[in-house]
Amino acid sequence: MIDRRFLQNVDWPLLSLVLILIAIGVANLYSATFQDAGGTGAPFYQKQLYWAGFGFFLLLVILFFDYHLLLSVAYPLYWISILLLIGVLIFGRSISGSQRWLTVASFSFQPSELVKISLILALAKFFFNNEINHRYRFGDLYLPFGMVLLPALLILRQPDLGTALLLLLLSITVFLFLGVEWKTLFISIGGVVLSLPLFWYFLRDYQKKRILIFLQPESDPLGAGYHIIQSKIAVGSGGFWGRGFLKGTQGQLRFLPEQHTDFALSVLAEEWGFVGSMVVVTLFLLLVLQALNVARQSKDRFAMVLALGISAIFFWQSLINMGMVVGLVPVVGVPLPFISYGGSSIIASLIGIGILLNINMRRFIIQS
Amino acid sequence: MSRYTFFEKEEPADLPRQFFIALCLIIAVFFGLAGRLWYLQIAKGPYFKKLSENNRIRILSIPPARGIIFDRKGIRLVNSRPSFNLYVIPDDVKNWEVLKEQLCKLLDLEQEQVEQRLAQKKMNPIHPIPIKLDITEDELGRLESFKYLMPGVYIEVSPQRNYPLGPVAPHVIGYQGEITPKQLKSGQYPENKMGDFIGQWGLEKEWQQVLGGKKGGRFLEVDATGQEVQLLSVQEPLSGNNLETSLDWDIQKVIQEAMKGKPGAAVVLKPDTGEVLAMYSSPAFDPSSFTRKLSTMEWNALFADPYKPFQNRAIQGQYPPGSTYKMVTALAGLEEKVITPETPFYCNGALPFGKRVFHCWRKGGHGSVNLHKAIVQSCDVYFYNVGIRLGVDRLARYAHMLGLGEPTGISLYPEKGGLIPTALWKLGRYKTAWQPGETLSLAIGQGYNLTTPLQMASITATIANGGKVFRPYLVKRIVSPEGRLIKAFVPQQVRQIPVNPEHLRLIRQAMAGVINEPGGTGGAARLVGLVAAGKTGTAQVVALGKRGGRDHAWFVAFAPLESPQLAMAILMEHGGHGGEAAAPVARKVLEAYFHLPPRVASPPAPQAQSEALVEEKNLD
Repeated sequence: MIDRRFLQNVDWPLLSLVLILIAIGVANLYSATFQDAGGTGAPFYQKQLYWAGFGFFLLLVILFFDYHLLLSVAYPLYWISILLLIGVLIFGRSISGSQRWLTVASFSFQPSELVKISLILALAKFFFNNEINHRYRFGDLYLPFGMVLLPALLILRQPDLGTALLLLLLSITVFLFLGVEWKTLFISIGGVVLSLPLFWYFLRDYQKKRILIFLQPESDPLGAGYHIIQSKIAVGSGGFWGRGFLKGTQGQLRFLPEQHTDFALSVLAEEWGFVGSMVVVTLFLLLVLQALNVARQSKDRFAMVLALGISAIFFWQSLINMGMVVGLVPVVGVPLPFISYGGSSIIASLIGIGILLNINMRRFIIQS
Repeated sequence: MSRYTFFEKEEPADLPRQFFIALCLIIAVFFGLAGRLWYLQIAKGPYFKKLSENNRIRILSIPPARGIIFDRKGIRLVNSRPSFNLYVIPDDVKNWEVLKEQLCKLLDLEQEQVEQRLAQKKMNPIHPIPIKLDITEDELGRLESFKYLMPGVYIEVSPQRNYPLGPVAPHVIGYQGEITPKQLKSGQYPENKMGDFIGQWGLEKEWQQVLGGKKGGRFLEVDATGQEVQLLSVQEPLSGNNLETSLDWDIQKVIQEAMKGKPGAAVVLKPDTGEVLAMYSSPAFDPSSFTRKLSTMEWNALFADPYKPFQNRAIQGQYPPGSTYKMVTALAGLEEKVITPETPFYCNGALPFGKRVFHCWRKGGHGSVNLHKAIVQSCDVYFYNVGIRLGVDRLARYAHMLGLGEPTGISLYPEKGGLIPTALWKLGRYKTAWQPGETLSLAIGQGYNLTTPLQMASITATIANGGKVFRPYLVKRIVSPEGRLIKAFVPQQVRQIPVNPEHLRLIRQAMAGVINEPGGTGGAARLVGLVAAGKTGTAQVVALGKRGGRDHAWFVAFAPLESPQLAMAILMEHGGHGGEAAAPVARKVLEAYFHLPPRVASPPAPQAQSEALVEEKNLD
């Protein structure tokens, strides 16, 4: 299955980017949760390392098989993840008000992370099966759109606005990329704008609040505005060179809420300054471009949509998370790939990378 | 070529263009991010650095004023007074030893207590730790003069519940308590943080959203020594809204006094609306004891009390209704045409049925009895006969129609539904068939029947108002602190029971006889200048408990007979006979409501009183 030519074609730049990001993430996690030492179980950074190791194992497993095998499991995987999402709503463990976790034999995981991959697989398969020669119209899109909406609504129910939005964004990105008729595009945009009030109606109060607060953070310094203000102070006080490793006062003194998950980057920006944050921003830019490159070089439609979707995930996640930390985007709770603490997130990201590497490796050998 | 290939077919001409557009967009977006980082870290860097250097944002919340709870005439049942609370923000403390020493000296606290408090929440160094709540003005003065010695000490003024009339219907009004971790997690209190006081029981809990208001906050900038530099912004709190309840303090007061020291419950309703004029459960607790944090010991003492002061017996207590249930049996008998008002039954003191003999409370018997006499004198044998003719299920249907066997729907936690048995119910519950003899017990309100005082008050109201079942309610209006009407609640009629109005009238007449005719069992509620109607009841206590084996005493009543203005149910646990223990409470309520002179202990017709005293449980 694996032959030497494949190894030569491994996308080493992409792999290196990932490894560097993980290293930065773990070091940052060490700093962000430094104060927690003495808590129960292994420290966060150590757990993150275990998860990363497991993610790498899955990545290697993926490399051994031709990615076309994924065609036959795409739909079953999609339905399994839908079932898991339903399971979360029924049996889920709830942490700070949202039910996002399923616990199996003392391991908790977040099915919504898995859905990101399985949804892209399902979309890729759909577009592979339903090739058309014109730009997409409504009739061509309502089925894939339904495929997106189902998990998005289930996730919104948890409630996890960030991930639900992410699914919508990434699928819209894929649709747009594949080409949508102008008329369809305009009607959709009009439809979205008109349905915003309805969407607003379905949001939970605190979600509405977050969006309002984002528009005017100083209006509620006690509540949701607190995240944004404190994060901005942390990032801004980093200055050019930063305060140095383990020396960020904002992070260390716990001004920052969720400093090891969604706001991990604020800790980094405080301790490593503009220089450090620019390194991370650049690494993510390169990661997204490299992923896009895989899509560009792919030789069939399944691979292309798959690679596109994965690129879109990395793009949107890093954009939303970083935007949130610097106060450009409402606080919606999206982890920064490889940097934020979280087993499900890092494993899902590494699976995504595995698929990208696989596609890239096999692009020269089409026959099988 | 492989079946997977795509681009050898017709590659869309614009694909490279799409990639190019994507590339440009991605780069542009990342440039935007970089620009923002530049702005925050380089351009505004020194500004933010200063902000964080001084470690300097302190958030002190300003608690909102909690809404006032009024009675129906505008009397304040519950309001708030300011309370001064002392907090320490650990991160601002410069010298712990000095701080502890000063606090002990100024506040009359033990060193240990202070240390215990301070050890509580080491988690977040900028989170204020409450040291002492509700400090006195003296202490406040002393603190202010020595505050410069103790950076990190903050005083917050928060409204504290105040009970100007003493505990008024504490089970109804409820109390406030510190929010529990479980409530915090539930997401139902997004406004609240650990340490906040919220309504934990009764109206305080049911109307937390209305009464609670919205917190404000002071966003302070503090320098490196912990002293306030400037106020960055203030968000004024939003006061809670006031509740105008249907309670009548005059009646409530009378009941509380009459029931002091005797376990039981009383409910008074307005029959034409369902408004609750009074609701009391005895023994009660003092809600003001919750305004400060109770120690575990105090909690345990309260909860270990065998008389369960936290139980709202008016809605949670489930008791057999005893003879007060005979109205239901009478109505069912008339409606189902198994009797007419004149159908006579002969009572010689007992009725053999099956293998058993069912006794009447009066050993000598009542002689020939018709409906009116049966209710007035509470003849058991008469109702055994009606029960036999009706059967369990027909009887249950009328009980359900009147609203028994299910919660009335009053919005007060936690209302119980009672139990009205049917043959099917028994089969499901005990896996045995219904015994016809059991219907006899049911017909006089014993056996499996269980009702709450609220339900009994409600069915009395329904009989009084000609068959309308209302959902009882407690809050009439929500009013803003400025007095603007926010919401008014209207009576909710649940249903009109489909019965002949004449039958209800006959029952009302007989109930008037209970109080006013010689031989009536309710003479203890008789008043000059008012024709009231009622019914006594004695609920058998099957398991003779630890607290003495006397039966529960019931009395239900409405008045005046024509166009009733109030309906009530009084239950005295282990009070013995209804006419003796419960009827006097009802009389006092009537005196207060109709402004009648209190009856001096002059006995009514001697015969009536002796009857009232000898009503006995049915020893079947």
